[in-house]
Amino acid sequence: MDSMNSMDSMDSMEHAIAIKNVTCRYGSTTALQDVSLDIPKNAIYSFIGPSGCGKTTLLRSINRLNDMIPSFRIEGSILVEGKDVYAHSTSEDTAKLRRRIGMIFQQPNPLPSSILKNLLLPVKEHYKGKEKDYRSLALEKLKLSFLYEEIAGQLNQNALSLSGGQQQRLCIARALMLEPPIMLFDEPCSALDPISTFKIEEMLINLKKERSIIIVTHNMEQALRIADYTAFFYQGKIIEAGETGQIFRRPKTDLLKRYITGRF
Amino acid sequence: MIDGISALRPQKHWISSVLGNIASFLSMGIIVCVCGLILILIFYHGAEVVSWDFLITEPNPSAIHTESGGILTPILGTMILTLVGILFALPFALATALFLCFYSKKGFLKTLVKSGVDILSGVPTIVIALFALAIFTQPYMAFLSSAIEGVEGSNRAYGKSFLAAGVTMAIMILPFVIKAMEESLKNVPQAYIDGAYALGANKWTTIRRVVLLSARDGLVTGTILGMGRIIGDTAIVWLVLGGTIRMTGLQPWYAVENWWSTLTNTGCTLTSYIYFTSPAGEGNHYTVAFGASLVLIAIILLLNLAATLIGGIGANKHG
Repeated sequence: MDSMNSMDSMDSMEHAIAIKNVTCRYGSTTALQDVSLDIPKNAIYSFIGPSGCGKTTLLRSINRLNDMIPSFRIEGSILVEGKDVYAHSTSEDTAKLRRRIGMIFQQPNPLPSSILKNLLLPVKEHYKGKEKDYRSLALEKLKLSFLYEEIAGQLNQNALSLSGGQQQRLCIARALMLEPPIMLFDEPCSALDPISTFKIEEMLINLKKERSIIIVTHNMEQALRIADYTAFFYQGKIIEAGETGQIFRRPKTDLLKRYITGRF
Repeated sequence: MIDGISALRPQKHWISSVLGNIASFLSMGIIVCVCGLILILIFYHGAEVVSWDFLITEPNPSAIHTESGGILTPILGTMILTLVGILFALPFALATALFLCFYSKKGFLKTLVKSGVDILSGVPTIVIALFALAIFTQPYMAFLSSAIEGVEGSNRAYGKSFLAAGVTMAIMILPFVIKAMEESLKNVPQAYIDGAYALGANKWTTIRRVVLLSARDGLVTGTILGMGRIIGDTAIVWLVLGGTIRMTGLQPWYAVENWWSTLTNTGCTLTSYIYFTSPAGEGNHYTVAFGASLVLIAIILLLNLAATLIGGIGANKHG
């Protein structure tokens, strides 16, 4: 908890996201209890912990994706780029917030239409411009996600004909179309093979130069390989948080020691 | 005790499985036999009259079998009525299905709409037809058909036309199309919806660009099944479209400038023509009735085949 306190003293504008005393409930079940955490800019923050410990709940609270669950209730505040996301409540505000935060899910979710249409989906609605400009933007994002060479410029083929790893990278490219300064990854590699996983990890390291990234992962080697910071969740609480090296090499609590060594 | 139970079980299972097999083979056999008999009978009697000429000749009100003509206007009447019915039904069905899936919360309104749909699906079409006739014969509904003229003391509308019958058909198929559409909307993977919201889409954009795209095969299938019901219905045709065998609008009825007159006047469909030519009707040309039945069944089978093919592709897509 020391590292968290030291980060608290920093100006909140220094952080991409500041989570303060957040408690989340689904009906009578408490999923997160009084969680506070600061997410620094231009870094990768990984959330680790056993299943059902609240990692994904916290991730989906940042872009208000839990709002769709009727029984969901949240207390405390989450500041994204200095603004409390739960303070404003119009659906347009929420949509604007979500356009600043890219999100990648556990299962790749490209739509059953062409690669190009998938990429244009987020930009078509809000920006009035020429399709040609978007096309070049789409190509740029495909190159960024190492997909461009693999599909050999066949932008009109069905996105569902791609492999799982390619679909996931298409989803990342689609999220990048909006140039989000913050990106949330919810176990993005758990359904993928090792080669696809490495490609995505390489991409994440490239992306953090300009973006702040949170990744939920069950793969501790992955956290160790790519994350600058790591938070360990257990039963709705953050047990330890700090620099990844510290977390893995010098765990302070017995709980984290047992988790790292696989004795859970 | 435990041994006794485990010794009994296999025997019971054996009996019930034999009984189950017999019952399922019997019911399957009955269904296949009845279905086969109907098809064979219709094909046997119908095939001798169905020819290219039969399909492209207008029917003729004659008592002589060879003078009775073909089924051109019934085929076209079926097409017009189906088109009108589906055009009226589609927007309402889609809106209701979207409401039930995405806009209504659990509560009184949703229960009301859902039970309304269930009740409507159980109302016999002849009752819907009677109700429609009561509405469309009101004087202010004369624009959909025509006002009755020259009858002392009556200011009623005629109440029978393609438009009136189309609206009635739309009401009749609404519950079936709503249910089919609701089912396909429910099957849209939550991952697609989450993904769209996460990209900053609002609800309406998500529905328009993601939900409708992903559910489109199911929506088309629902529409086709609705069309099948319109094509097969007779009661509404007989009461609300009328028992004529020709188009009664301004002639030639197929001329573009007469389109409104054709839609607001009466006509004939395959089902009403089958009734008309059957021994129960006026024509007493049962071979012609069988010919028309063959064409009708062929059209419905083709539609069902199309629905199956499209539905099948949709099921694979989300796999």
